[in-house]
Amino acid sequence: MSSFLASRERLVQPRLSEGRQRGVGVSITNVSIALGERTVLQNFNVEIAAGEFVAIVGRSGCGKSTLLRSIVGLEKPQTGTITLGATAHGNPDVRIMFQDSRLLPWKRILQNVTLGLGLSFHPLAEDVLAQVGLADRAHDWPANLSGGQRQRVALARALVHDPSLLLLDEPLGALDALTRIEMQELIENIWWNRGFTVVLVTHDVAEAITLADRVLLIEGGQVVLDEFIDLPRPRARGNARFAALQDRVLQRVLQHRAFANTHRTRTANQETR
Amino acid sequence: MRQEILSNFQRRVPMPSRTRRQRFVERALPWLVPLALLIVWQWASFQGVLPARFLPSPRAILKSFIELSASGELWTHVRVSTVRALSGFAVGGGLGLLLGLLTGSFRWAEILLDTTLQMIRNIPALALIPLVILWFGIDESAKLFLVALGVFFPIYINTFHGIQSVDRGLLEMGRTYGLSPWALYREVILPGALPSILVGVRFSLGFMWVMLIVAETISARSGIGYMTMNARDFMQTDVMVVGILLYALLGKLADLLSKGLERYWLRWHSAYQPTQ
Repeated sequence: MSSFLASRERLVQPRLSEGRQRGVGVSITNVSIALGERTVLQNFNVEIAAGEFVAIVGRSGCGKSTLLRSIVGLEKPQTGTITLGATAHGNPDVRIMFQDSRLLPWKRILQNVTLGLGLSFHPLAEDVLAQVGLADRAHDWPANLSGGQRQRVALARALVHDPSLLLLDEPLGALDALTRIEMQELIENIWWNRGFTVVLVTHDVAEAITLADRVLLIEGGQVVLDEFIDLPRPRARGNARFAALQDRVLQRVLQHRAFANTHRTRTANQETR
Repeated sequence: MRQEILSNFQRRVPMPSRTRRQRFVERALPWLVPLALLIVWQWASFQGVLPARFLPSPRAILKSFIELSASGELWTHVRVSTVRALSGFAVGGGLGLLLGLLTGSFRWAEILLDTTLQMIRNIPALALIPLVILWFGIDESAKLFLVALGVFFPIYINTFHGIQSVDRGLLEMGRTYGLSPWALYREVILPGALPSILVGVRFSLGFMWVMLIVAETISARSGIGYMTMNARDFMQTDVMVVGILLYALLGKLADLLSKGLERYWLRWHSAYQPTQ
């Protein structure tokens, strides 16, 4: 259990050499997606650098999840293109993790982790399970695991494929506060060591600032805020700069709710500040 | 009432604190009522309250059971009936599974076939008996047809329903993991539909015996139904009761078998797992 927390020390050391970086860049150009009658994304543009950890925040229904789903190919944009950078070893592997673990209840943990892979992947899967602190649960059924453990299995299942791009669709949304912090540290560590690109969709601004190099706010189908977070890792939530950043992003998220009038004065106030 | 419902759910959780005596009582309790009935029955027969013409005493039934099984006659009938039941089950169940998988998986098959099948389903199978006799006469194929017809629909409907209700999230996940259509079917769709398919199997096992009894009662030269009808002609009430009890026993066996299958195939399901 504590094995994966112990490796947190490593974060303060310099990042692994560029050669081991597996991340790919993502360019999303002029993408428009409509689900039924509703336009979710409109002429959406964003460039994500290789190895970058990007968090996307926004209100429910702003199109965050749709964006992730379109990157992995579950939604098809009506217009525009989504291109992934190339990797040294052929096509980039893209994995997505959902809010629910989506483990197959009729497969044991190890068989879930090696879904779609042959028996030869079992040793690797066991290694990855150890990395997420679940080495001893390999032969359990998913029904016997807690919500947090199931999400760690889902993470392991994605990691076995050695992805170049990991898409996280609120994977921690349903977890309790403590498990959530543990998972955040785990994800940060693994990302730091492996160097893939991460796009994390979250409701939680603090989570976004804890983990991401860059926080995007989506509103009305567009990026309305693109904030680089240059705080040193690991990030302490009590930090004054952390609090200031969080406040700024939150203010911007909440602003949209206000009426046009107050909206204008508030923006004016902020500018004079 | 609410308490009762709750206590029924809690029963799944074995309590380690239970003493051996408590567990024995719990095991023995369900058999108390049948045992009491048996004693009353034997006493009533012995006293002549219950004439043997209507219902022979348990002792007489046991005696004729022993005689019938010693002569081997009983086992021949049981074997014939079981083979009939199982082959009808295999044909009807197999077809039901196949068509259920087809209509559940492919929209075009559902559109093409489901309406027709639902119409046929609403005809009581036993209403077809005159027609069945006309088509197949009164030999084996008629019995096979009736049993197959009886087991077809429970399996068909539950397979269809099972496939339709497979978790969309899991399907989506399987697709993002690059599973081929066949792998998706084998790893996600079939196991997801299995609980529902097994419910269909249990229902159809009940129908299997009903249809067989009817088929064997109409006309047969062997089988439990034949034995029972033959005994009626000779007023051998004890043999008749043996036949009826055999149906009960075989039905219970079939149910145990399907329960065993459920326990094995659905061992991943939380309802079938021992709590730690």
